[in-house]
Amino acid sequence: MESTFELIQQSIAKKLEIDITTIKPESTLEELGLDSLDTFDLIFEAEDKLGIKVPNDEVAVKTIQDMVSLLDKLIQEQKK
Amino acid sequence: MTTSSMTRRVVVTGMGVVSPVGNNIDTFFSSLIEGRSGIKRIEAPFIDQLDVKIAAQAHFKGEDHFTKQELALLDRVSQFAVFAARQASQDAKMDFTKIDLKRASSFIGTGMGGASATEEGYHRLYRENANRLKPFTVLNAMNGAAGSHVAMQYQLLGSNLTYSTACSSSNIAIGEAYRNIKHGYSDVAFAGGSEALLTFGTIKAWEALRTLADEDASDLSRSSKPFSLNRSGLVLGEGSGMLVLEEMDAAIKRGAHIYAEIKGYGTMNDVYHITQPSVDGQSQAMLSALHDANLKPQDIHYINAHGTATKYNDLMETQSIKKVFAEEAYKIPVSSTKSMHGHLMGATGAVESIASILAIHHKKLPPTMHLDQADPECDLDYVPNEAREISNIDHVMCNTFAFGGTGGVLIFGRV
Repeated sequence: MESTFELIQQSIAKKLEIDITTIKPESTLEELGLDSLDTFDLIFEAEDKLGIKVPNDEVAVKTIQDMVSLLDKLIQEQKK
Repeated sequence: MTTSSMTRRVVVTGMGVVSPVGNNIDTFFSSLIEGRSGIKRIEAPFIDQLDVKIAAQAHFKGEDHFTKQELALLDRVSQFAVFAARQASQDAKMDFTKIDLKRASSFIGTGMGGASATEEGYHRLYRENANRLKPFTVLNAMNGAAGSHVAMQYQLLGSNLTYSTACSSSNIAIGEAYRNIKHGYSDVAFAGGSEALLTFGTIKAWEALRTLADEDASDLSRSSKPFSLNRSGLVLGEGSGMLVLEEMDAAIKRGAHIYAEIKGYGTMNDVYHITQPSVDGQSQAMLSALHDANLKPQDIHYINAHGTATKYNDLMETQSIKKVFAEEAYKIPVSSTKSMHGHLMGATGAVESIASILAIHHKKLPPTMHLDQADPECDLDYVPNEAREISNIDHVMCNTFAFGGTGGVLIFGRV
C-alpha cells in the first residue's frame, strides 16, 4: 500500500500539474502555491481515500510533513 | 470630484465574447452577417433523457484556457466570463497599472450562476447518496462568482455587482455600469453577462415551461424563428459577452479605440404577469432609454430586438415598437440575432449589445434568419434572411425583456 506521503504527493502533483519529485516532506504548502482552500480540497480527497474524518480545528498545517503526520495520527485514532 | 450629480459620457473601448457562433468578436459578427446558426443537437451524456434535444452550445473547453488549479474554482459560467473579459481588456489595450483601480468596477449579469456546480452537488447528494459535497461547491455555484473572478483577474477594487433579472440581466448590468460611470462613481468598468445553464436539470425545467422550440423538421439549425408564422419557441443558448466601459475624456486622452458611446438606458418592471410581457411595460423601457439619450424615435437606425421566437414576446415587442416609434416603426430595420445564437438568457443582452455595436462599427445589419413567412401580426422590417449594408447608422437600440418583468433597453451611438 502506498504511504500517506505518496498519496498526498500524487494529489498535489495532479492538482498543480507539476513534477511529483518537486513535492518533498519539508515543502510548505505556501511555496508549492497552495492556499487554504486548496488545503481543504486536498484533505477532502484524503478523507475519501483514507476513510477518515479530519476535524475542522485540525486543518491548519504548514508543511507536507505536517499534513502527513496529522493524517497518520487520525488513521491510528479512527481505525481503532 | 465624485458626486452623483456629475454627468459624464461613457464609451465602449473593448469587447469579448464566448458564443455558439464564435469565441471572438470577429468570428461572432461575421457568423451573424453570414447567417450561420449555432443551433445543433445537444452534445451531452443525458441527451436521451431530453424531450428537447437542441440548443446553442458554445464550443469552449475550460482546459484550453485555464490550469487545473484554476478550473477547480471556476464553474463554466465563470470560465466564460473570465475568458470574455480577457478578450475585452486586450481589445481595449488597457494598462491596468495606469488606472485608479479603486475606481474600476465590474457589473455582471447572470440568470442561473454556477448551474453545473449546483447540479453536480444535487447529483452527488440525491443520486449517488453521498453524505458530503466538494469543498468548492458554494464558491462555484454562487451567482456572484463570475463577477468576482473578473474583478480578481484585474484587481478591480471598485463596485463588484451581479444582476440577476433573468433574460435582461446583462443589459441591466451594462446599463447600471453606464450610470455608475456617468454619475462619477467609477471611471472604468467591465460590464456584461455570462450564462452556462445547459445542464440536465435546467433544460428539464425549461422543457416544463413549454416555451422551447420544436426541432425544425428539415434542418434543426433553423429551429429558432423569431417573428415567423411557424415559430415554435426559443432555443436555449450559453456564452458570455463582456464590454470595457470608460469615461469618454479619459478614453480619448489615452488614445483608446472607441467602438461606440452608450447614449441611453431604460429599465422598467412589467408587473402584468410573471411570464407574459405587456405593451405598456416594453414600450416604457424603450421610451425611457430614448429620453435618457435625449433622442427622438427617428434618430434610431436599427433595433436589435429581444425577439425570442415565443408568441408572446414577438407580438408584444412588435406592438411596443409601433407604440414608441409610431409611423417611423415601419422604416426602422429590426432584427433578432437569436435566430442564430439562440437565447443566452442572462448573457443574451451582452452578446446582442456586441452585435448592435458592431452593426454601427461595420455599417452592416445582422439578419433575422429562418424568416420565410412572417406572422401577419408581426409586420415590421425584420431584415429577413440576409444581412444588409446601411450607410446611415448612428444610433441603435438593443432590447431585452425578461420573465419576472424587468426590461432593459440600451441605446448605443457612433462617436
